[in-house]
Amino acid sequence: MLRTTAKATRRLHAGVPQRSAQRSAARIAASAALVALLIAGCAAPQLSSAPLPPGTAGMGTAAPVTGRPGAEMPPQPQPTQPVQVTPAPAPKSAVPKSAIPVRPAAPVASPAKDPAPRFLTVAGTTINMPIVKVGVSPDGAMEIPEPFNQAGWYRFGPAPGAAAGTAVVAAHVDTTSDAAPFSQLKSLAPGTLVTVQRIGALPLNFRVIQVELMAKDAFDGASVFRRDGPPQLKLVTCGGRWLDEQQNYGDNVIVTAVPA
Amino acid sequence: MRTSLFTAGAVAIAAALTLAGPAQAAEPDAQLSVLHGVPGLTVDVWVNGERTLDDFAPGTLAGPLALPAGAYELAITAADAKDASAPVIGPVKVNLAASGNYTAVANLDAAGKPTANFFTNDVSQIGPGKGKLTVRHTAAAPAVDILAGGAPVISNLANPKEKTLTLDPGTLSVAVAAAGTTAPVIGPADVTVAEGTHTVVYAWGSLADKNLKLAVQNIEGLHSAPGGVPGGRAGAADAGTAPVDQTAVTVGIGAAVLLLLVGGVAAARRQPAFRRTR
Repeated sequence: MLRTTAKATRRLHAGVPQRSAQRSAARIAASAALVALLIAGCAAPQLSSAPLPPGTAGMGTAAPVTGRPGAEMPPQPQPTQPVQVTPAPAPKSAVPKSAIPVRPAAPVASPAKDPAPRFLTVAGTTINMPIVKVGVSPDGAMEIPEPFNQAGWYRFGPAPGAAAGTAVVAAHVDTTSDAAPFSQLKSLAPGTLVTVQRIGALPLNFRVIQVELMAKDAFDGASVFRRDGPPQLKLVTCGGRWLDEQQNYGDNVIVTAVPA
Repeated sequence: MRTSLFTAGAVAIAAALTLAGPAQAAEPDAQLSVLHGVPGLTVDVWVNGERTLDDFAPGTLAGPLALPAGAYELAITAADAKDASAPVIGPVKVNLAASGNYTAVANLDAAGKPTANFFTNDVSQIGPGKGKLTVRHTAAAPAVDILAGGAPVISNLANPKEKTLTLDPGTLSVAVAAAGTTAPVIGPADVTVAEGTHTVVYAWGSLADKNLKLAVQNIEGLHSAPGGVPGGRAGAADAGTAPVDQTAVTVGIGAAVLLLLVGGVAAARRQPAFRRTR
């Protein structure tokens, strides 16, 4: 930035009209901010990296995001996935005394959970199916419900409607002989309405902002299963080419939707 | 204009790298928690001769306190002490490593004498769908068994030892019994082991004085993501030669930066919503 300032000054001295120089400085500053953002993006593997389509820029991601209540993370500025949140440096000589949290250590009941999702509808498709809770299979992958017309919600991560993080709902893309409803995910247009009904709570609406193919051999679990940052719904299935030798698809199709 | 934007971009990159440099070089702090497990004694806790916790009551947990890595001296005095020169426990010299996570416990030894124990907490990532439970014996009592739902899960744990289990998350009915027995001397009490959380349970107090209790410390945020989402079965939804791949445009982040530098901001706006990540 020092160099930028010096340059602007030099141009002033060379007789460039002041307004033009200011505009140029503003452009430089804007460009610097953008490039810095992108660099931050490169450094943060969890950051959902694709840009938003036009017209939805900032939707659901522009607001500053506060850490989940009870979590020890401070509120984070955008983008919300800095690799390391550096705490305020503690003075070397003096130990801080005031802000040390002290609490009774007796066992307490576990905090109330967000309502679980129970039904998923995606406008303009035949995706209209119950959602069941799933966890992790013995091989460490997310469990997927066996029925082709049933979706699974990753119950260890955030629920749809949680204050932060990604709610992951997945289903099979095919049956043994045919395409399943989730095969329509790959063609969803930005803005498509996604509705999630919940157990004991009002339904939630989401809008699709991105459809992404992620290679299975480069699966970025930290970005898909994110516990903090902006609240999003991720609909996940398989896609791309069927690889006969692996008996598997080459990619995951990942739809990102934000609260409508 | 292109030239000036390009130059600005280069300057911005240099600036961004300069800014990023020191932040990455700085050593992350250590995290220190302090548990008071000596019944009937309100104390002050001193770190390097400074009063850090005032009127610290039994059964309370303080922290975590972020401290730069290094050597520290911990001392515990009576609550009205003017300085740390006459500690009732300690002083104890401890070494805190960068990013380390520790709990210092003021407690009774097996014979009932006040002492201090310094535990290093395991803050490694926990496998997806699992939680971790550590039990630490910091009570004036002989060796114990830890029961969950009436069955022993940890056997013959003596003061000041600890034992760690990796478990499916859930709420356990935890009781503590003399080693080899099942009659509880503490509990049963409900202890929740949450996914991605390391729950540390302390048995503290005195068997002779009939004031044995449990204290719980939770270290959150140790979760890891599932290794994949296996949503395919038989290839019936194969993208084939036509649709998805041809409409998808491969634009890596690096390429996006280049685009920005050369073409300015406008070019970035034209990137398709549908992209392929590799």
